[in-house]
Amino acid sequence: MLCKKLLGLLLNPTIKYLKLAALMAAVFAHGPLIAEQMNSAYDLMARMAKASKELSYKGLFTYEYRGQLRSIKVVHLVRDGKTYERIVHMDGPEREIVRRGDNLGCLRAADRLLRGSALKFNNSYAELQDHYEFYIRGDGRIAGRQVALVEVLPKDKLRYGYIVAIDKETGLMLQSVLLSQTGKPLERFQYVYISFSADLDNFQLSSEMAESEGIDVNQSACLETNQVIENVTSIWEPQWLPPGFVLSSYQPADETGQESWMYTDGLAVFSVFVDSNEGTDNFPPLDAKLGTTVAVLTKTQYNNQLYAICVVGEIPRSTAGQVANAIVPRANLEVR
Amino acid sequence: MSDQKERLAESLSALMDGETSEIELHRILKEVGIDQDQETTENSAQSGRRVWQRYHMISASMAGEPVSKIDYSAAISAAIDQEGAHRVSMLNNLMSSTGRFAIAASVALVAIFGVQQLNAPDPASADVIKFAEMDIESTERSTGPAIQFPSGFQPSIQARTVSAGGNNKTSQHLVPVVQVRKSEQRQFSETELRQYMDDIMLKHSNNAALNSNQGMLPFARVTKGEADSNKE
Repeated sequence: MLCKKLLGLLLNPTIKYLKLAALMAAVFAHGPLIAEQMNSAYDLMARMAKASKELSYKGLFTYEYRGQLRSIKVVHLVRDGKTYERIVHMDGPEREIVRRGDNLGCLRAADRLLRGSALKFNNSYAELQDHYEFYIRGDGRIAGRQVALVEVLPKDKLRYGYIVAIDKETGLMLQSVLLSQTGKPLERFQYVYISFSADLDNFQLSSEMAESEGIDVNQSACLETNQVIENVTSIWEPQWLPPGFVLSSYQPADETGQESWMYTDGLAVFSVFVDSNEGTDNFPPLDAKLGTTVAVLTKTQYNNQLYAICVVGEIPRSTAGQVANAIVPRANLEVR
Repeated sequence: MSDQKERLAESLSALMDGETSEIELHRILKEVGIDQDQETTENSAQSGRRVWQRYHMISASMAGEPVSKIDYSAAISAAIDQEGAHRVSMLNNLMSSTGRFAIAASVALVAIFGVQQLNAPDPASADVIKFAEMDIESTERSTGPAIQFPSGFQPSIQARTVSAGGNNKTSQHLVPVVQVRKSEQRQFSETELRQYMDDIMLKHSNNAALNSNQGMLPFARVTKGEADSNKE
């Protein structure tokens, strides 16, 4: 009965054409978003870089990899120009990470790159936009907040892509999905609850945050505006790096003889570790993979000493392998 | 009263209560029609029409409604006969077919765009769907394993998950795969290697949290292993 009535209504010519017109309008309004938004997408990313550091917030986020889910509680406070962070794993064994004392003004290589600076490194300029494309992919809602979705696509096969959801009000990243070279999601990071309320500023810093040792954040890797990234003096030198990656931090050899470098292109990061001690001597060359983090270990001999070179990062295995094979003693480089 | 008449009376009673099926209704109408033809010859008091009338009078009087003996049925029937049949004009015909076409077109449009929306949802929701079919890229499987640790290489914390999850493919867990690239005869300690990888992955993630713009994400990727829970 109702159906017949509806049918009758639709048959009414005026209403019918109105409906058609509305439909067509809806179709056109929904047409593809145009690439002109690339710049504003990039602006959103830059805003995100600023927000993650400068805002005070607390929340719960989830991390998903291959069907496994972790939930983590986070408190991020800004006090007197310094940041305090407490990260507590909510599942499994109790784990907690506390960091404090990172200056708001301390911008590292990745911060600079994401905020639009071109960094000079190894006689060439690295810039984020040379290696990624940014697209706004509409709106969404995450953790009860309105977000803008930005798709970040790499221009080469040396790095992964991302889909990030950026909170419209504050600019904080509320979701990040890492995409493989074939566009498949590899992992997902997503807030389920977040609060930016003002009472956070009066949040009593927990005793761990105030008193734990060894949690002060190293300020050595801060970069001034337009600062040229110095290469480090080590016997090791990468013969090749994926374009766009710059040195973001360096740890000289510690008591175990381990040196490390960290490189970033603004979004992706990888670390290079070089070890020379009895413990690593026996390790065979190998590949390891933990979630989206890959590790490629190679062995090399220099001055009758065995070295283990390990590249670790959220980059494709092939890229990590190329970097690992390109780490050579500086002396060898100069001879060539 | 014949059996047939009795059955008809019962059926009429049922019809009044609204308890007849459509087939029965047709049968009743047919029999009442026959009755009408025979009314003159047979005992008209038992004809279906009379029974029907009588039942209604009984029903009306029981309900306390005024009872009328006047039979309007013949007059109504005659009036219907006089009325001309409805004709469908050409214009109406055309209108209704365009109407149908328009409906079909709208449905098709909705279907097309609906399907497109389904097939190409916004990126974020696409992930949700695709998450179930994630796979290790083929490039990352290129090097054939010479030795593969049966338990899988991984920080001690996840070891529990592995034993619990087993080889269940539907609930993939974090099993770092370690592949030794060259078959070497060198002796090495699996535990030491595990600790070493655990350590550098952790150092990497701690550094990454500072040196990337991913905020808290690196902390979630690699969790602190037990081996060095109080170092760093």
